[in-house]
Amino acid sequence: MWYIAVFALYLLFIVYTSLASLRKVESLSDFTTGGHRMGLMIGVGTSVATWVSVASVMGVPGYLYSSGVAAIIGWVAGWFFGTALIPIVAYKVRRPKSPARTFPEFIQFRYEPLKKKSHLRTLVAALMVVGYFIFTHLQVVGFGIVFSSITGIKYEIAIFAFLIFLIFTSIGGFWSVAVTDSVNTVLIIIGVVLGAFAVLSATGGFANIFDTLATTTAPTIEGGESLSKGILLTPAGTFGLGALFSIFISNSLGAAVSPHWVSRMLAPKSVKVAIMQMMISMVLLVAIFVPLIIIGLGAKTLIPSMPIGQTTDYIMPMVIMNFAHPLVGAMTLVALCAAAVSTANSMLLHAGTSLYYDIYQNIFKNKKKSEKNSRNNLRLTVYILGVLAVLSAVKPPVLLAMGFTYVYAGFGAAFFFVVYLGLYWKRMNALAAYTNIIVGTSVFIIAKMMGATNPFVIALCISFVGVLIAIYVGKKPPVEAYEPYFEVEVSENTEAAIREVRNEEIIVEKMKPAKIGNG
Amino acid sequence: MAVTLWIWVIVVILGLSIGTFLLYKIEKSGVERWGASGKLFK
Repeated sequence: MWYIAVFALYLLFIVYTSLASLRKVESLSDFTTGGHRMGLMIGVGTSVATWVSVASVMGVPGYLYSSGVAAIIGWVAGWFFGTALIPIVAYKVRRPKSPARTFPEFIQFRYEPLKKKSHLRTLVAALMVVGYFIFTHLQVVGFGIVFSSITGIKYEIAIFAFLIFLIFTSIGGFWSVAVTDSVNTVLIIIGVVLGAFAVLSATGGFANIFDTLATTTAPTIEGGESLSKGILLTPAGTFGLGALFSIFISNSLGAAVSPHWVSRMLAPKSVKVAIMQMMISMVLLVAIFVPLIIIGLGAKTLIPSMPIGQTTDYIMPMVIMNFAHPLVGAMTLVALCAAAVSTANSMLLHAGTSLYYDIYQNIFKNKKKSEKNSRNNLRLTVYILGVLAVLSAVKPPVLLAMGFTYVYAGFGAAFFFVVYLGLYWKRMNALAAYTNIIVGTSVFIIAKMMGATNPFVIALCISFVGVLIAIYVGKKPPVEAYEPYFEVEVSENTEAAIREVRNEEIIVEKMKPAKIGNG
Repeated sequence: MAVTLWIWVIVVILGLSIGTFLLYKIEKSGVERWGASGKLFK
């Protein structure tokens, strides 16, 4: 009863905030990046809520349970390292007077600003649709696990409840996502802290948890292979050093250039706010991850082995429902739903925006549409993608945290040099960007299929060689491509190029031939 | 256990240091549009 009541209250909150935020949406820019006027506090709220997904609140405790403290290095330290690197992106990408509205638009501004139709932008947007669809799919899986645990409804049916949340969170665009995210952050912090206290109380404290981890040989799944004694407290855990390094580096370097984080850095009202947003978020995230680590490690004491037929992603709801007071349990499980909803709505917005704004509108530039029409089409796109994500989640193929690692590794392989060299080296050109994306993605997929231990590092190294060759073989980029990221004020030509890319209805003087930069 | 926690702590300290250094660079630039206000953390 507690569970249903708290859950119903959470749904009411989502409905109210989503409808209220509709008033803030006035333009397409408002819908996609909040009009580049986001303040610090709401920025922190939305960053933390987007950061904390089902991979963090369910997947990480699952890996702590099965592989021990090594999961802290692979996922927690990996993601934090990625977060540490994001301000380096923010420092440059938020500089322009007219920042890009989406990641693919940034790619066109930086690499093909003089082209009416940018194939590079379309390519990037297509990769984003795939990546964010997978991310959304994973959130739906997490949501389904929690919702079926609370209600007792079969998982395959429970995932459809996600659509109720989606109806409301998709109508307000960025502001709806940002406002609901901020409250979700508070819910997540309260929920996981209460959950950790419940686990500490049920286990008898830290000493008992460490004793169990040091001595247990209980298999992760009933009837499975027994664990080696003490392995759950070793730095490499059950992974081995090579695999753990692969997970760490994919989560860190991949997360740092993931399009949703680059887009998030476009929304704050200044560069400084963007950087401080990530610094404060990092501190708050510590307050979320300490309880999650306690819950994940403590679970081994409370439930030595998982029942056959359930993955370790179920460990968090299982522990909470069996060992916490119903009110505490309800608040913790609503926090898990909040993590799923807040990340899913953000990911769906990225996938939908990429599909409609960066692919459809980029290809059919001549079809004039009103802002209202565009917003409605974007809402419809987001909703259709959400329905497809729910349908795809009926039979989940991978564990939540590992699914995130794969997508981050793919994004890192495709975009690492595109983002960092693009922002810090004037000579980085369009050919090198194509090289990074095509070579990086292809090598990553091939290496993964061949069973390489570290496909991400292989893809990064090979694409780096390709990028360097392309930089020196290809044409130097035009001034319009890099000026906004290297100069305080930009030339009229650059401003005109930005307006052209956006198809803005301003009379633009015929542009002079592009100057070639010195690099 | 201690090794894993230390790696995490070092990463957090690194993140805060990188952020502070970049905020200092913004202040040094004096560009108001970027957020330069005369105070490092404001």
